[in-house]
Amino acid sequence: MKKTSVLVLTFLILAAIVSCSIQKDSVYKKSMPLMDTIVSITVVSDSKEIAEKAMEEAFGKIDSFGYLINFYSEKSELSEINRNAGIRKTRVSPETLDVIEKAVLASEKSLGAFDPSIGPIVKLWDFADKKMPSEKEVTHALPLVNYRDIIIDRNASTVLLSKKGMMLDLGAIAKGYAADMAVDSLIKKGIQSGLVSIAGDIRTFGLKPDKKPWTIGIKNPRQTGTKDEIIAMARLTDKAISTSGDYERYFITAGRRYHHILDPKTGFPAETCRSVSIVTDKAVDSDAFSTAIFVLGPDKGMKLAKDLGMGALIIDSNGNMHTTDSLKEKLSFEKGS
Amino acid sequence: MKKALRSTTIADRTLCIVLIIVSCAAMFYSREALSQGTDVVIEVSGKAVYTTSLDTNREIPVEGTQGRAIVEIRDGKVRMKEARCDNHICLKQGWITQGTIVCLPNSIVIITGSGSKKDVDAITG
Repeated sequence: MKKTSVLVLTFLILAAIVSCSIQKDSVYKKSMPLMDTIVSITVVSDSKEIAEKAMEEAFGKIDSFGYLINFYSEKSELSEINRNAGIRKTRVSPETLDVIEKAVLASEKSLGAFDPSIGPIVKLWDFADKKMPSEKEVTHALPLVNYRDIIIDRNASTVLLSKKGMMLDLGAIAKGYAADMAVDSLIKKGIQSGLVSIAGDIRTFGLKPDKKPWTIGIKNPRQTGTKDEIIAMARLTDKAISTSGDYERYFITAGRRYHHILDPKTGFPAETCRSVSIVTDKAVDSDAFSTAIFVLGPDKGMKLAKDLGMGALIIDSNGNMHTTDSLKEKLSFEKGS
Repeated sequence: MKKALRSTTIADRTLCIVLIIVSCAAMFYSREALSQGTDVVIEVSGKAVYTTSLDTNREIPVEGTQGRAIVEIRDGKVRMKEARCDNHICLKQGWITQGTIVCLPNSIVIITGSGSKKDVDAITG
């Protein structure tokens, strides 16, 4: 009996030691300043080496793409397209062509509420220095904003802006597109689970080591302190989420809030929402449509989200929340919200 | 080995097993505890160079890619006080208690409040 007990105990001890030393999936996270913001990549892997190599390559993809479409860099392909507006076609790389095609598609689906040709209006505003344009300046620039004047030749890989002075700004779609690129790169490197977050444009894939979906906090657009930063939490896997809010870049003058989400039809900030969160399969869509639906407002925006089968959480200018049925089951709201 | 085992009592063996289990459990719990985050993390080119608390007022010199920058912590807030960059966006951001300050030209990132929402994997907005 004693011998048996000793054997059982020895086995249990060995089992405990072995179970402690088995290679388990771990979460690896790294952040880098890229695309004028913070890019964070989280991956699940049983190998630190594989995780770091995969993340490094994904960061590289984001960095390269960021250079191609940088609105503020004269060396970018985007700036070349803008300089050649009304003059000649510009030959671009497949990624630049693809993101512009997707931007035009989002413009068509949102009937111009999202418009990548909003560059001439964006140039007039300076939110860091609290400078706003005059009505006259905006009226002068508005005829240059029209996605129908973006001529894409896929076979020749060229883009032409048909009017001189037109300017593309891909700021409301490029980060989502880059998040998708990064996820594709991670998957190719053998990563089966993780998330890529570029300034609030987040794409998730797979499950966490505890086999649960990723938990994404949705920022409270009227945060007053450290305790109410998050207004809701979404549990996602193989989905993307983006949020556009009037609190990201803004200034207040004479009691009125002027923020960076500009209506392509008026040239001034859209006023009927505080924030819009959109859940789709790809981050390129969640990014573009969070802006489009913010501009459309709660009623038209909710209709568009439902028509396109997207999940939406809209917080309107009075603080009321509107949620699509498809997103309700994935959301939990923080107390007091 | 047999002699050694014979010379131990049941209490000795139980204690031995308990110690092993506690050691294994501690390995996992300590990993969890360490990943909770701290008040302020300063990164240069993606690598954490300082991890400190918002509780102590201090100025921290940070060697960025374009020269020395000064990060200031005061009264539970943090800001970029000085930086050799062209646009000074990081300086204009002022004091924060939560979120991030980025100085792209210097590849400096200041992250604060990252450990406050341990049940959230990322934040959108």
